[in-house]
Formats: sequence, C-alpha cells, structure tokens
Amino acid sequence: MRIEVDQERCEGHGLCEERAPQVFTLDDEGNLSYAFDGQDVPADRVDEAESGAVVCPVAALKIVR
Amino acid sequence: MVANDDRAGERTECPYHDESANGSVIDAIDTTSTSQGRPATYTENLFSPAAIADAHRHYRVLRSLGPVAWSSKHKVFVVSRYREARAVLADDAMFRSDDGIALTALARFAGRHTTLLGDGTEHDRRRKLVASHLTPRALRPTRSTVAAVAESIVERAVARRDIDGVEDIALEMPLTIVPDLVGWPDGAREKLLPWGVAGFDFAGPVNRLYVKSLPGMISMRRYVGGVIRRRDVRPGSAADNLIAALDRGEISRAECASMLIDLLAPSIDTTASVIAAALQLFADHPDQWATLRADRTLMSNAVNEVVRLASPLRVFARRVVADTVIGGVSVPAGARLLVFYAAANRDETVWPDPDRFDITRDAAAHLGFGHGVHSCAGQGLGRLETSCVLDALLDTVDHIERRGPGARASNNIIARWESLPLRLVPLAASAGAPTSLETEVQS
Repeated sequence: MRIEVDQERCEGHGLCEERAPQVFTLDDEGNLSYAFDGQDVPADRVDEAESGAVVCPVAALKIVR
Repeated sequence: MVANDDRAGERTECPYHDESANGSVIDAIDTTSTSQGRPATYTENLFSPAAIADAHRHYRVLRSLGPVAWSSKHKVFVVSRYREARAVLADDAMFRSDDGIALTALARFAGRHTTLLGDGTEHDRRRKLVASHLTPRALRPTRSTVAAVAESIVERAVARRDIDGVEDIALEMPLTIVPDLVGWPDGAREKLLPWGVAGFDFAGPVNRLYVKSLPGMISMRRYVGGVIRRRDVRPGSAADNLIAALDRGEISRAECASMLIDLLAPSIDTTASVIAAALQLFADHPDQWATLRADRTLMSNAVNEVVRLASPLRVFARRVVADTVIGGVSVPAGARLLVFYAAANRDETVWPDPDRFDITRDAAAHLGFGHGVHSCAGQGLGRLETSCVLDALLDTVDHIERRGPGARASNNIIARWESLPLRLVPLAASAGAPTSLETEVQS
C-alpha cells in the first residue's frame, strides 16, 4: 500500500498527524512531511497510515493499493 | 422566476415510482421497494418548519430506508447513510457541485462563479484564492490573536454570569474575528449574520425561508459590488487578496464578487452553531467537561465530536453526471442528490450510540465540514475559534448551567441555537486554579 500526498491540496489541518504521528508530521510552518514518500508503507505502519489518510478533510492523501 | 425550478434536460421524476404516495412518516416507507436497484420513496417535506425543528426523526427514517431514497416531495434522491454520503462527496467528478449544490435554478445561477458551486481546475483555482488566508497553515501567526479575543469575550461573559450563550459568546467570537481577518470595511459587522442566514436559506427549496432570503441576497450582492468599486478592504486581508487577483486579471469582476460572497456568507452562523452547541453539550454533560479539563489534549477530538453532533450544515445537493449505482441503487444521469451530512454523522452503523456526546470517541472522520475538494474552506478557522473559546472557559469557568430551554433557529441549511440561556459558574476566586476536588467542596 502506498499513499500519494497532494501537497498542492494540503492546507495543514493536521488531522493525519494527530492519528498517525509516526507517519505524518507538520513542521512549524504547517508544511506536511510524509515518512514513506514514493515507497510502500511498511507492513507495521499500514493501519496507522491508513487511519491518518482517511481523515484528511481536503482529500489530499490518497491511498493506493 | 422564483418558483420556476424546472430546467430542460433535468430529471425531476423518479424513474421507478409514480407520485401518488402521500402521508405520514410510516407511510413514507415504501415497503414494496427492494434493495435490488430501486430506492424507497420518502414523501415528507424535509424543509418545512416542523421538519427542520425535528430533523433527526426524519434522518432516522431516511437511514432506515436504504442507501438511497427518492424524495417525492422535492423530486430528488436522498443519501443519509455515512458510507454513501462520504463516497458521494469524495467522487466530485461523478457528483458535481457546479449547477448542483442549491435546490433552485435561480440559486444555482446566482452562485455560478463561487468556489462552492465550481468543479475541477476552476474550483481548485478559486479555492486557492479564497482559502489561502484561512488555512490552518496561514492562520498559525493569528492563533494568539484568536486566543486573546476568546479570553476577553469569555471574561466579559463570566462577569455577567447569566448570559445568552449564542449572543454573548457563540456569535461574538466570529463577529469579532472575521471582519478583520477577511478585511471587511467598518460597518459590515451588523449585516454579516443576516446575510449569512439569507445565503443558506437561498440554497434551499422554494419555501417561506427561501422567499424571505431574497432581499438579503440582493443587499449582500450590492454590498460586495460596492466593496469592489471602493476597494476599501483591509490591506493584506483575504478580501484584499481577491481584489488584487482581479487587478492582475486572474479573475473576472463577477468571479471576484462571488468569491467575496464565498468569504462572507458562511463565516458567522456556521461557527456560532458549533460554539453554541459546545456550550449546550458541555452544560448538559458535566462529566465530559470534567474529562476535557483533566486532559486538554482531547480538545481537537472534543471539537470534532461537537461538530459531528451539531452538524451545522445539515444538507447540500449534488448533480449526477452519468448513470451510476450508489449502495446498489441505480441513479440516473441528470438526477439531483441531497446529501444529509447531519444524518450521516449519526449513522448508527458507524457511530455506536450515535446521539451520545463522548469526547473520547474517535470523531475525526465526521462529515460536519463536508469531505473532499469541497470541504469547508474555513474549517481551520472554525476549529480554532471553537477550541480557543473552550480553552478560555476551562481557564475561568468551573461549570456551565442551563437556565432555560433556549430556542432553535429555523433555516433551510444551517442547524443552530437561536438563543441559549446559560449561567457561567466561575472557578473559585482564590489564587491559582483549584483542584476539581476543592471546587466541588466550595460549590
């Protein structure tokens, strides 16, 4: 499973980070960094990553299987 | 013109039912329909004063009817379950907002240049311009200002002790924050609420509320026209940003006017709905107030839970572009679809004991701000205003008491308190914050 991050669409709501702090983090300016950019999410992080991605209020995080 | 809602090529008849059905909620369940492609029919008016006042009874029946129901009264399909509502909102290519979100042709025409009623790249371009000053990222430097405003509003309210939670806190917050942030010239403040109310009633079906909204819609349009002519907006504000885009030729004058309305209309009563609901819910559930006091890291989730239950925006429409199937039910191209966010947010198959207020439940996936590309552009500001008010109250107020039943507003789209009599019982005046045990003993 991969997650595609649409940085253009991300507005920095941070709901993903609240649910999955090991996967998504916002810096001091509110910019999102994603731990597994361009690669498969490791098996032990899939549930966490998915739970963070589904709450993105602006659909900037797309789950690709 | 007002009553003419039919347009060439628009589907206003359910392909599966004749329109003879009529009657009570029980009759509204068409028991002859099956789950194999045909929706059940619901005959009741969903926008009458009685239905607006007792909305959740209708939502329960709608959810029980299946993934999609056909409203014979409004000639639209209705989605009220969480799964399907979320799926429809997520698929903005199939379920369009342009020419879709409002129930009447006039309102769709009037809103054609807004972000709310746009799709695709047009929408993305407009949303960037409208939302750029309102995203959580953009609001970071403003957080301390919003917190300071909340503290002063709460301080005044606590000094008064017996208050109207709507007038004195819930409306006061956005009416203080929004004019400066958006950049409206002085003198707009008194009009922002009535214009917002009109804007949402105008998105409903032709009823008394819709007709009443027309003068407000006209005066709001006249006002933004004047703002564009005079350019007397606050420098560096969100409105200034739109006028600069007009001057650079990036948007037309008509687009600029519509996008100013995007900023104006949904900025006050929506936020006030959430803040008032928070006051009511925490007054009625002191155990939840104690839970939040004990652990303020629950704040973000508490706001989500309040939005889930309050669902300020109860419904918007979408236009179906091609024949499709929703939850096993066929829906034809050209149909209109009402998505009841407020019903989805209490879907018992997703939210156990859905009417219960529980700030520890995982509420982040609610649809109270919508979902996907059209989700509320001001939600970052709304969340910030609400959490700052609650933080200020936790700092100064021991508990909140109801002082009467209050009254609900009646609006086609927005659910909110019109008045909410409350008593704010301050924390004991001794130096420093008392522990909850001491507070109990003293009160």
